[in-house]
Amino acid sequence: MKRYRTYLTAFAGLLLCGVVATMAAQQETGVAVVVNPENPVSSISSADLRQIFAGDKQSWSSNLPVFPIVRAPEARERQVLLKQILKMTEPEYKHYWLQKTYSGEAPQQPVTVFSNGMQLEAVRAKKGGIALINVEDLRAGVKIIKVDGYTPGTPGYPFK
Amino acid sequence: MQRSLLASGLLCFLLCRSFAQTNEPSDSAAKINALMQEVGELKAQVAELRADQARLADALSVQQNKKETGTAQTAEVAPTQEQPRTTGNPEQPGFSVPEGIRIQGFGEASYKATDARPPETAFFGFRHSANNSFGVGDLDLFVTSQLTDKSMVLSEIDFRETTDQNFDVNVERLLLNYNFNDYLKASVGRFHTATSFYNAVFHHGDWLQTAIDRPLAVQFSSDGGLLPSQAVGVSVTGKVPSGGLGLNYIFEYGTSDTVRPNILSPEGPSIDEGNGNGTIAGLFAKPLALPGLRIGGSFYHDDLSPRVSSAGEGSGSSQDRGGDGTIHIGQSIGSVHAVYVTPRFEFLNEAFLIRHTVQETGEKFNTAAFYSLISQKFRSNWRPYFRYQYANASTESPIFPDVGLRHGPSAGLRYDYNDYVAFKMQYNRTFRRQLPTINDVMLQLAFRF
Repeated sequence: MKRYRTYLTAFAGLLLCGVVATMAAQQETGVAVVVNPENPVSSISSADLRQIFAGDKQSWSSNLPVFPIVRAPEARERQVLLKQILKMTEPEYKHYWLQKTYSGEAPQQPVTVFSNGMQLEAVRAKKGGIALINVEDLRAGVKIIKVDGYTPGTPGYPFK
Repeated sequence: MQRSLLASGLLCFLLCRSFAQTNEPSDSAAKINALMQEVGELKAQVAELRADQARLADALSVQQNKKETGTAQTAEVAPTQEQPRTTGNPEQPGFSVPEGIRIQGFGEASYKATDARPPETAFFGFRHSANNSFGVGDLDLFVTSQLTDKSMVLSEIDFRETTDQNFDVNVERLLLNYNFNDYLKASVGRFHTATSFYNAVFHHGDWLQTAIDRPLAVQFSSDGGLLPSQAVGVSVTGKVPSGGLGLNYIFEYGTSDTVRPNILSPEGPSIDEGNGNGTIAGLFAKPLALPGLRIGGSFYHDDLSPRVSSAGEGSGSSQDRGGDGTIHIGQSIGSVHAVYVTPRFEFLNEAFLIRHTVQETGEKFNTAAFYSLISQKFRSNWRPYFRYQYANASTESPIFPDVGLRHGPSAGLRYDYNDYVAFKMQYNRTFRRQLPTINDVMLQLAFRF
């Protein structure tokens, strides 16, 4: 009976480890930064990425207007944007963009879409489009760009 | 024994699974490569399908042309050939940005009690000569429309309550913007001048500013402010290549028409500055290393031909009571600012030196002013703030005879009930040269919709 209890404890512990490892692995698939294939950009710095989604950088070096696209609240890409790139909460993001457009510093806030499919469609349609998309949802017609020199899935990539 | 084997098997299985998942990054890289390869293959397939489709469309058009006479219709076939090419093409899908006019509204209801005897000139719709009153203040409509990827129209229409509880309608801003790129953005129309950071960033929507009222120096000139807050003309702004320093420039040229009420006496005559065309040049840095920090300054110059108008009359209907054209004044305004704004912390500092030079006599009158505001958000919706402001104008000043020396603190608390409604309460204490000190209590419910 005592041995049975030991095995049961070990089994439960290992099961827990498995669940935790699975969850961690899901988190590590990463969020990629994608642009339109016609955009010559192949790499971007974290600072530039912040400037783009904060409305401080509004054109690519080729004079193409930047067209940022973001996911609606609760999506994982939105959480990465707010927590890791802009370091804001949801209400702070709304307030920030209201102030930004009201002061005339930025023409409009990033377009918000409800799925990664719509994000892909928007990036394909707009030459200046840029979006954050979960690696597992990537499809044809967009270009993945490096962030700080790292591609998604490699060690050092910031958006996991 | 069997149990031991079973446990060992489970252990191996879980360890293998766990190990496999910790190697996920390299798997992801492989997955991306595989996806990219798949993309290439799919592109090739799409190209083949397109070619087939084009051939089919050609065949159909030839048949159609045979059926219908006239060569003119051949040209009309082209769109029908193009139609299927765009449908289902992954690089030209049907995504479109919603077009049209976007409207954002701001409003507030305020209450003010003051111990000034007699009360100073009121704003926010408070009644003149009243020591406590309610006012609706502004109903502010912010209207924008994106015309193309690079151009847009921005407008701010303000329905402002007057002291007799009527409303005036003012087009506060009306701008056609064109963004060539980050280094050159041009606007034409009516704008709030860049004579101060506050004036360029905060407008009539009080919900967006932390405090209830604006500091006197940057108050709208129609409420007694010291700067020419509006102009009609051209504004050009953009970045200056400067790496991490984040330098930006601004240049404005336009016509102002500043009419200031006498803030000491609501019934007294207002001063129409009779501004000529003004020029503003400014430079500010927004270092990349510290988002939210902005340091800069601007210089403004125009020529004034001040007139004294009857109380309550605007610039359009002012009847000169003398002094029209008898003196000409050169007005130069230098300003510097250092602000640090994050979603939770706000620290605004601005200082001004306004110089009026009477051209006929060479007399110079300097007016110095500054304000400093600090606020910190606690929890998710409480934001206490503190402000100190100072303005010092000569009583002999031909433009600011009513300002004198006034300075003092303001302390307040803002509570954001939700994303749309904020409640603010504020206490102002204003020390005045050779005049009694004023204590004000203000309450405001500010909202957006």
